[in-house]
Amino acid sequence: MKTDNRTEDRKSIGRELRRGSLELIVLHLISSGEAYGYEIVTRLTTETNGSLEVTDGTLYPVLYRLERAGFVAVRWETPERGVPRKYYRLTEAGQLELRALEQEWTTFAGAMARLLRTKGKSS
Amino acid sequence: MKENEYIDKVLACLPRATPLRAQIALELRGHIAERMSQGQSLEEAVAQLGDPATLAGSYLSAVPLEPAPYLPRIAAKLVDMGAVIAIGSLFVLIAWLVLPEEMLPFAAGAAVVACGLGFLVYTITAEHRKGQTIGKRLAGLQVVTESGTPISLGQSIVRQLPMALQILWIDAFFALFTDRRQRAFEMLSKTRVVSASAQSASEAAQGTMGLGSLGSY
Repeated sequence: MKTDNRTEDRKSIGRELRRGSLELIVLHLISSGEAYGYEIVTRLTTETNGSLEVTDGTLYPVLYRLERAGFVAVRWETPERGVPRKYYRLTEAGQLELRALEQEWTTFAGAMARLLRTKGKSS
Repeated sequence: MKENEYIDKVLACLPRATPLRAQIALELRGHIAERMSQGQSLEEAVAQLGDPATLAGSYLSAVPLEPAPYLPRIAAKLVDMGAVIAIGSLFVLIAWLVLPEEMLPFAAGAAVVACGLGFLVYTITAEHRKGQTIGKRLAGLQVVTESGTPISLGQSIVRQLPMALQILWIDAFFALFTDRRQRAFEMLSKTRVVSASAQSASEAAQGTMGLGSLGSY
């Protein structure tokens, strides 16, 4: 029972980390060129071998937030057949935000890596 | 569940003044279609999007709720009351023209009661169904829950209890001292009045994008 709880705790940490870095992930994915929602989801899954997979219901509100914040610009494309697609691309503000988030993430990850390399006082 | 049913459920949790509301619907529809074209069933595609209320809540968390200023709120109430008084006066005028003189006091009393009840029922219904009365619409205001979703009928009724109990002024007094400018019965019903003008402007802006298919939402 205790082991189950600890596994659940670890999953929860993973979820929190993913949630906290979603904007960075999305901005990074569209920094190489414009993409539409489904494309971003699949690209994320393929490029990370599924380890950073997010549900569609998590991604779209993030895109919406980024659009409202002016970090991404949108363009609709209506195919001859089928439903229109909404393409997202990075704006200048988005590029600055991406750089700031990358910097923040690198600092955090570096600090964590250094910390975990050192031996704790208890060991 | 049909594709439109799911999208309608999401939209039902998004107030009409939510920015880009129609685009959200269209994008979700496109996404579901995309997943289905990749061989997934509708159920699988919808499961990826999750519970409609949760999804709507995630969208709404990106929309800051700006407490409505006092003056537009007062103006909205005056417009609504003015409209009711105008309708009531029209009835009294008609009564004065067609009824015998001894019936006039009775007709005037009936008109007052009908107007009061009508005002109450109209406000409850309009705020529940549309999130705004005519006055609030003109003043660019919107009634939403504390998380930004449309209010339920029960919440709409509780909001209007001070009017029914004739304690509106005491209740309104609370709005001067609360962070979100809420009346006492707004806090009780977990509802707020927020500015909708900025949101509507964004919504109007999408009209310039030439997306005719957005109209259905």
